[in-house]
Amino acid sequence: MLALDLLQWWYFQGWSRFANSLIAKIKGTFEFFSVGLLLRTLFTPYKQLSAEDHSGKTDPASIAGAAFDNLLSRFIGFFVRVGIIIISIITVCFEAIFGFILIVLWPAVPLLPVIGLLASMTGVVIGIFN
Amino acid sequence: MRAQKARFGKKFNVSWFWAILFLSLFAAIAVGCALLILHNAFCWFFFGLSAIPAMWLYYMHSEISKVRAGKTDDINDILSREIMANLPKNPTPHDLANTVFETRSGRFLSARYGITTVMLDFIVSNFEMTTEDIFVKAREVREATDSAQISGSVLAVAIITLVPKYEDLLKKMKLELQDLYDGVLWFNYLNNLLKSINAPAHTGGLARDLMFGWTPLLSRFATNVSQQFEARGSINASVKIHQEVVAKMVDFFSKGGRQNVALIGPDGCGRSTVVNDFAETIVNAANKIDGNLKYRQVFKLDSSALIGAASGRGEIENLMTAILNEVLDAKNIILWLENAQLFFEEGVGSVDISNLLTPVLEGGRVRLILTMDQQRFLEISARNSALANALNKIMIEPASEHETMQIMQDRVVVFEGQHNVYYTIWALKEAYRLSERYIHDLVMPGRAINLLEAAASQASNGRVDENSVQRAIEATYGVKLQASQNTEERERLLNLEQHIHERMIGQDSAVRAVSDALRRSAAGVRNENRPIGTFLFLGPTGVGKTELAKSISDVYFGGEGQIVRIDLNEYVEAKDVQRLIADGASDEMSLTAQVMKHPFSVVLLDEIEKAHPLVLTTLLQLLDEGILRDVRNHEVSFRDAIIVATSNAGANQIRDYIDQGLTAAQIKEPLTNELIKNGDFKPEFLNRFDEICIFEPLSKEALTQIVQLIIASVNKTLEPRKITVSVAPDAIPILVDHGYDPKLGARPMRRIVQKTVENIMAKLVLKGEIDSGANVEITADMIQEQLG
Repeated sequence: MLALDLLQWWYFQGWSRFANSLIAKIKGTFEFFSVGLLLRTLFTPYKQLSAEDHSGKTDPASIAGAAFDNLLSRFIGFFVRVGIIIISIITVCFEAIFGFILIVLWPAVPLLPVIGLLASMTGVVIGIFN
Repeated sequence: MRAQKARFGKKFNVSWFWAILFLSLFAAIAVGCALLILHNAFCWFFFGLSAIPAMWLYYMHSEISKVRAGKTDDINDILSREIMANLPKNPTPHDLANTVFETRSGRFLSARYGITTVMLDFIVSNFEMTTEDIFVKAREVREATDSAQISGSVLAVAIITLVPKYEDLLKKMKLELQDLYDGVLWFNYLNNLLKSINAPAHTGGLARDLMFGWTPLLSRFATNVSQQFEARGSINASVKIHQEVVAKMVDFFSKGGRQNVALIGPDGCGRSTVVNDFAETIVNAANKIDGNLKYRQVFKLDSSALIGAASGRGEIENLMTAILNEVLDAKNIILWLENAQLFFEEGVGSVDISNLLTPVLEGGRVRLILTMDQQRFLEISARNSALANALNKIMIEPASEHETMQIMQDRVVVFEGQHNVYYTIWALKEAYRLSERYIHDLVMPGRAINLLEAAASQASNGRVDENSVQRAIEATYGVKLQASQNTEERERLLNLEQHIHERMIGQDSAVRAVSDALRRSAAGVRNENRPIGTFLFLGPTGVGKTELAKSISDVYFGGEGQIVRIDLNEYVEAKDVQRLIADGASDEMSLTAQVMKHPFSVVLLDEIEKAHPLVLTTLLQLLDEGILRDVRNHEVSFRDAIIVATSNAGANQIRDYIDQGLTAAQIKEPLTNELIKNGDFKPEFLNRFDEICIFEPLSKEALTQIVQLIIASVNKTLEPRKITVSVAPDAIPILVDHGYDPKLGARPMRRIVQKTVENIMAKLVLKGEIDSGANVEITADMIQEQLG
């Protein structure tokens, strides 16, 4: 009785629950890597490190120096953020691909023992490795 | 099917079954791999076979261990998993009663509300009810408590409320129906709290802090309050008053304008809790808050570390400037100055840097939270109005009873973990009641929480109940709350007159009146919003008025030291009122300061007729409500004190009445009228006393007994030398004659005994004529010789 319920659950609630958990996991990964925040602040200075306020200064050298410092800080910030975004995208891709495969194969899982038995008896598939 | 799943879960959602599933999975994969290496086609069978334990594992994890509520209103869909798992197919009321304690919520109600299996079993055995009746009632309770399912606690409440006169049953347990509903809500709240702690936190992720600046100096002098919520999730109860304040804070910081908030309220009102709630709110992205406030970190500045690290004001200002710059540059910090007054006044552990902070607050760029006491804020405002105007003030009011109970329910979980105890509902109620009565330096909920924590050390067998709370108050404030529970104490209370007469002679009606008041208090049948008793002792000097007050203090309040004596002949001017109710910090001997320190005592107001009328008017509220406000407007409770006012007014009239053969009871009314008529006391003042006790002049018999008492006290003094003294029967009348003065009463008696008995003994000791173990009898001749 319970085995039948398991099968019924597997093809209905179980399937949708797995799909939902996959979506939640992907969202969680984006949040773990702070992707939204990183995108919003892509060009802000790294750790807010910037030159002191130079408004009001007239010395071209100090203005240029400060502008360079700020630009450098922003560049460093940009590269660090982009690096983290790339890592997060790779992680999410892995999750999504693996999850998608599982979702597609989901209906076949209860049949795997039978499929395995048939494959074993025919011996067809093992031939690939020979 | 839910029931089947629940029962299956009960049987198989256990570690050994999980182990079998995991082992089967790994075994199938391992065998499959081995056969694959051996080029055996059966490897595919084993790989396929591994799908079975894998499916079961997922099914167990996602479905069986949870068994979610169904979508219909059918009873099978709304009973909790724990109940379903333990009920047979066609449950009887007995089955339902027994199932309650198989559930976490049922055990919760049992431990905290004393609802036992025996009790529920008794109810279902002795009152007519069917399973259907219980389910119908359980639905009602579920709706009333807004519970997701019918849990064990819901079922227990349903069974109890099916008893025809369940109110009587609950009354015996000192409970009301609402208490049980609150119990269900309490469990639901804790259950949800547990879920929220286990839920994933939305605190911005690992790269969040890359957006914000370094704060090395700030990290040295401040603690990151937000960090604890990132690690543990929500830990505080959300009570309405706090939610409202947090909403206001979010509003102030979200809008433009001055970015500061000053939380002002009396100590104990929960200022720090509100800041913690605020920190928790803004660090969680799941809360809908303004983008520029999201993920901001609240840092609590350690004022003592800051002051300790700098040698002078200049250095502190430099340090503070550097910290404020860091806060500004970091762009994600909200700085919290706890006890902010420490930064606005000079003193030990405080330094006035308002010159630095006022422009910062006015500028409004640095986000600051200031918390401080109401009184200190008023003082600072009076000195520095610019500072007061620069602040966005939010007043925090003390919590109501309901809110305090809610906060206590939340906090006990922490105390239970820390002290390895569990609290009953009666402990919480008693903590509220007693803290309101005895703890005056804090407001709610702080004072109730403090008492509740103190009660943990008084737990018996790990259970903190109302007795634990009473013991905690007794240990801290010296009050007596459990007198009537102790057999020896009960016996002493029942024979109080006898015990008092061991110290003083005569004045039976006054002794009885006072003893009755003390018994009423100990038995809990008195009005708790008044002092234990208020008495006016009228009579001539030396008849035992003060002695009775001392005797009460000794016999009931635990020693003569428990007496607060105020000589009102020192309060003869109107300005003396200030001295009477002075703040403890400025005058520790004022009436209010002494009673604040010793609330459980005898308050002796000596020679009350000499006090200024304004002083007497001040005392009216004390006599009426047991409350007196000191100069700082702090309430001081006299509700655990016995108030004794003594007066010689009318002494001559009393003598005259006694000479005419009237008794004390007969004298009272005419004497009171005369005192009012003569202007000694106003009627409204005399009416405030529970009883006016007339002290009669002492008779010769009474004086003889007093001599015996004094001799007994001399013997007590001689006890370490193992010497005893007695007075011959023919010598006693001599002592009585010389020791009694109609104007001074028995007051000269002690002097006469000193002059005669004690002097004789001193000489004998010095001459070496008596040794340890000697018994000396003082004869009439020896007394006469001594008196010359």
